[in-house]
Amino acid sequence: MILANGRIYETSAQAEILAGLEDAISRTLSEKTLSRETVIDAIDRLGRRVADGEFDEDIAALPIDNAMSYKAQAVQMLSRAYLEFKLRTELGSDFIDDYTTQPPFGMQPLRVKAMPLGVLLHISAGNVDGLPAFSVAEGLLTGNINLLKLPQADNGLTLKILTELIKMAPEIAPFLYVFDTPSSDLSALTALAARSDGVVVWGGDAAVTAARRLAAPGTRLIEWGHKLSFAYLSGYTEDELRQLAEHIVTTRQLLCSSCQTIFLDTEDMQQISAFCDVFLPILEATAERHLPQSVDAAAERTLLQYTRRLEGYLEGGTAAPYQSAFCSLRPAEDRELQLSDQICGCPVKRLPRGQLIAALRKHKNYLQTAGLICREEERAELTALLARSGVVRITRAGDMSASFAGEAHDGDYPLRRYMRIVNAQT
Amino acid sequence: MSRLTRARRALIAVPDAYAGEQTDALFLTAMRENCRYQYEHCPGYRRMLDGMGFSPEALTDPDALARLPFLPTLLLKRHRLFSVPRRKMLIKATSSGTSGTASEVGFTLGDLLAMLNMVLRVSKLRHLFSVRPCHYVVLGYQPHRGNTMGAAKTAFGATMFTPALSRTYALVWRDGGYQLDLDGVIRAVERHSRSRFPLRFMGFPSYTWFLMQKMAEEGRCVQLPKGSKLMLGGGWKQFYAEQVDKAQFYALAKQVFGLADTDVVEFYGAVEHPILYCDCERHHFHVPIYSRVIIRDPTTLQPLERGKAGLVNLTTPLIQAVPLLSVMTDDLGVLHDGADCGCGLKTPYLEILGRVGLHEIKTCAAGAAEQLAEVRL
Repeated sequence: MILANGRIYETSAQAEILAGLEDAISRTLSEKTLSRETVIDAIDRLGRRVADGEFDEDIAALPIDNAMSYKAQAVQMLSRAYLEFKLRTELGSDFIDDYTTQPPFGMQPLRVKAMPLGVLLHISAGNVDGLPAFSVAEGLLTGNINLLKLPQADNGLTLKILTELIKMAPEIAPFLYVFDTPSSDLSALTALAARSDGVVVWGGDAAVTAARRLAAPGTRLIEWGHKLSFAYLSGYTEDELRQLAEHIVTTRQLLCSSCQTIFLDTEDMQQISAFCDVFLPILEATAERHLPQSVDAAAERTLLQYTRRLEGYLEGGTAAPYQSAFCSLRPAEDRELQLSDQICGCPVKRLPRGQLIAALRKHKNYLQTAGLICREEERAELTALLARSGVVRITRAGDMSASFAGEAHDGDYPLRRYMRIVNAQT
Repeated sequence: MSRLTRARRALIAVPDAYAGEQTDALFLTAMRENCRYQYEHCPGYRRMLDGMGFSPEALTDPDALARLPFLPTLLLKRHRLFSVPRRKMLIKATSSGTSGTASEVGFTLGDLLAMLNMVLRVSKLRHLFSVRPCHYVVLGYQPHRGNTMGAAKTAFGATMFTPALSRTYALVWRDGGYQLDLDGVIRAVERHSRSRFPLRFMGFPSYTWFLMQKMAEEGRCVQLPKGSKLMLGGGWKQFYAEQVDKAQFYALAKQVFGLADTDVVEFYGAVEHPILYCDCERHHFHVPIYSRVIIRDPTTLQPLERGKAGLVNLTTPLIQAVPLLSVMTDDLGVLHDGADCGCGLKTPYLEILGRVGLHEIKTCAAGAAEQLAEVRL
């Protein structure tokens, strides 16, 4: 299915729509602008309908635990208050309001106006429900014309959200196109990229590399790639470990912001063992409080744990030393940031602060969140050190996957990247 | 080795692939001998058995079968375990590895002969072997040197049941990659529907379903020659989400191809458990004598009684090259009493309910790590 100008077309109409796309875009750019207020108002009203339960069935059908807490979060993120805060934080007054520069030495002043980049092609990942619609919403908020290539795994939710949005604000229609073009249809994707001023890509390196090939030189690439996160501990209390355990268990270590490796600020392997002695029972107790709700999740957890046990024998000939019914910790001598076993299994490694930057630089393209546990008097110093390493989020260990209003996305403000600055001589 | 071969040979010499309980003792002996062989020839398997405190000699009573440590497919995907030198393996096969990692197994000449015997005996159930030539449409991969996927090999193997007049593939190797050519398939089906020889389909149920839907939508239904069959294999995979009802599937086969539901034959198997399960005329997978199925509780992993749903653990003594004696699939299923089927076969039958698909979800963190591994190279 294709959505163009507010109408749904069969996939077979793709060639025809692509052929007329440049003309349609030019017409929209010359005749219309999309006001920020229109988009905010439409999204806010959609949010209130979600809050009123109109979409409860769709939300309940999502393959996630705690679908209703997801709803509460979605309602907040769709609200006018949140959107306005996001715009203010990300864009700042210099992007929101036009102004005239006041240069020194009697130099000529310039009018400064932030404009939409123009046309954005969104190539979205399928691993988070609602993500394609989120990406498009950011494009609309910045006044762009948006071409969305749906992920193959899309379950219809995206199109539903976007058509509802158009119903509430028909002005949006000429600014929104959705294509279900498969990734293998390179000629169609190349045509879409050729119409675009920016390509927004979500996904792994393969997707990002493919998008780089699609985009002509000069087309702005906005990459939201996969990331890895870790916990950094320099002294800890049991309470802090409980929060870290809660984070590990509830995110199942599946998110970009989930803790994959636990680093301790030490050279001493004995301290690693001592940490595992303390942390394993805490992790296990947390896992017991969060028993999987579905047979699928229960089976997955049991099998992973059983597999880890066998692997312990297979690799070392002895049982993994830190293994309980649901969880395992793997002390390791190297300093690499490494993907965890996921679902309550985590490598624990030494990383004295003096070597932190050298070790993390190796993974510079993938660094996201550091969950920091340390003495309060050292927090500022360690935060600064982590920030210098390339990490872009530093939180308390329990909040690694929490979302903070107005926070940057992987070190960037997306809305700024979807705009361009126009200078005009006065 | 000779002892292993003797027990296995006796099992595959049993004429009736569904002889059932009378082969229990023989099955157990073959398991014990094979377990001993794997224990002696595969150091990794030995370490795991030692670690779990299990000795091959314990396989003397039927209950011990459930105590034999099973290997999850996840483990077979992460580690290569072989019990014979690689040069002795005539065929290597990989699982379809939708998650990016795949199991790799290999088979010796003895394994292949045992499997051939098994296929001959199991396929009698649905009279699949015939001297009458057929056209074949494979709704799967065209064989290609670079493709070691078990599914491709099985699909090709299925075109050997009768002399093949032609083979048409849905996934065609073109310009260094596979391309889906459903239109080519439909043209072949229309051509063969006018032939005096039967047409047999072999392929993934999902592709077959899409093909039938497309033909129905385009009003291109045909009446296939008598003796034509629709063979399905390779699992329903992502299809579970759509939950196409089997009855719906058979009704569409009738509408589009003029095939009765008894002309639809389904296979079940896995690279990690290369035993052929063929459905009976009532479309139930009775367990052949080459394997025993244990259903386990998803949390405790304890064996469950008949009729209870759980994880599907498959055991077989047939393979020598790889320790596949007891393998835990990602499938959820139920084992029913054979008599409940009513087709006349007495061995229990396995109903697959779905797949524990979660480790196949591509998470963003896992995606990043895969790339990291490449970066290190």
